[in-house]
Amino acid sequence: MQLATDTQQKRKSMSSAQPDDPDHAAALLALVATEQSRKAFSELFSYFAPRLKAYATRQFGNEQTAMDLVQETMTNVWNKAHLFKPDRGSASTWIFTIARNIRFDFLRKNKYRQHDLSADELWPVLAEQNDSLDDDYALDDDLLMQQLAGYCELLPKAQRIVIELIYVEGKSQQEVADALGIPLGTVKSRTRLALQKLRELIHSDD
Amino acid sequence: MIKFHPNEEHLFHYVTGDLSPAMLMMVGTHVDMCPHCQAQVRDMEELVASKLFGQAQAPQEFVAANDDFNGDEMLQQIMSQAPTREPQAASALLADELVLEGKRFKLPATLTRSHHRIGEWQKLIGQMWRAPVQIGGEDVLTFIYMDKGTKVPEHTHKGSEATLVVNGVFNDENSEYRDGDFVFLDGTVKHTPETRDEDCLTLAALDAPMQFTSGLSRLLNPFSSLFFK
Repeated sequence: MQLATDTQQKRKSMSSAQPDDPDHAAALLALVATEQSRKAFSELFSYFAPRLKAYATRQFGNEQTAMDLVQETMTNVWNKAHLFKPDRGSASTWIFTIARNIRFDFLRKNKYRQHDLSADELWPVLAEQNDSLDDDYALDDDLLMQQLAGYCELLPKAQRIVIELIYVEGKSQQEVADALGIPLGTVKSRTRLALQKLRELIHSDD
Repeated sequence: MIKFHPNEEHLFHYVTGDLSPAMLMMVGTHVDMCPHCQAQVRDMEELVASKLFGQAQAPQEFVAANDDFNGDEMLQQIMSQAPTREPQAASALLADELVLEGKRFKLPATLTRSHHRIGEWQKLIGQMWRAPVQIGGEDVLTFIYMDKGTKVPEHTHKGSEATLVVNGVFNDENSEYRDGDFVFLDGTVKHTPETRDEDCLTLAALDAPMQFTSGLSRLLNPFSSLFFK
């Protein structure tokens, strides 16, 4: 009980506005995103962590798993605050969706409910490319090619041709096979190798 | 204009993550295609979040049961990490198309993210093809493609069946279904889907094999688990 009183007092002394005020919570997230404000994060933590703990304890009935969920959720809030988009919903909704995804993956790894589908595939809450995927299920090939044109130059010629026919000219793999007079399997393997290579190039550039 | 939507219970359990993997994929794909349900999902997320986080007081069970909750230690541990900003440009390379028999279909975002799970196309009876979406779990998720003028034998299901039109149009005894329409049938309903002047790509989730109920197609029953597994 002593602890509870301390926590309450600590929260009150930090700020007159509470994080349950949506604008205030959004402003705190913005401070975490732009200047890694420890004060703003501490305030978010002391509001959301106990509530997440209560949620997770109800869900799992297990103290340690509940604490793991709190820690993983709040770590994402600390690291990924820049991905919060105020025009898409409130800060508390965003934090709920992060916790929901983590809970989903915890349950998925539980041996009784094992399956492969990850939460990120279903709800890409923390994907950097969120906007293009959500708003329009066509990706912007032109923009994509601008970014990737430089990398494509680095591919072996045979792979680059296949990638250009598919991603620039929009041909199917079968059409590419027909056009080049090579087996479909070869087109597939060149595409796969090229995409793998592009991923490596992108990551090596960071 | 989408006429058929998942019911509120399906949408709510999509929001909380409490459906089977196959049904989460089905509802998620419908939501990708349906602005109406996108708004519903946002409202539901907002509602659940305000239930979890809205109380002015910390919840009683936390206060009572967590004398050993060392929030400060966890807080310091989290803030001792430098925030990471890893770009995920590679995700832009996801293929967002499905190709069958020279035809190309744009895939909604949920399916695009799971493109790597889509298996090879197999020809079924008549002008029908299927490609499994390998997500694990107990129930089955599969693409079904029907060329124009194709009829599926009348059948019921031991379990339930959800069908989502990704592209095209099909009919059954009750209605006509177009892009984005979501149909959920339990085991009591018999129906005979068919295409007429257009072909149709659907995504289907089944939690038990189909049972064919009419004429010669009853002979298919011993094979129905092959048909959809």
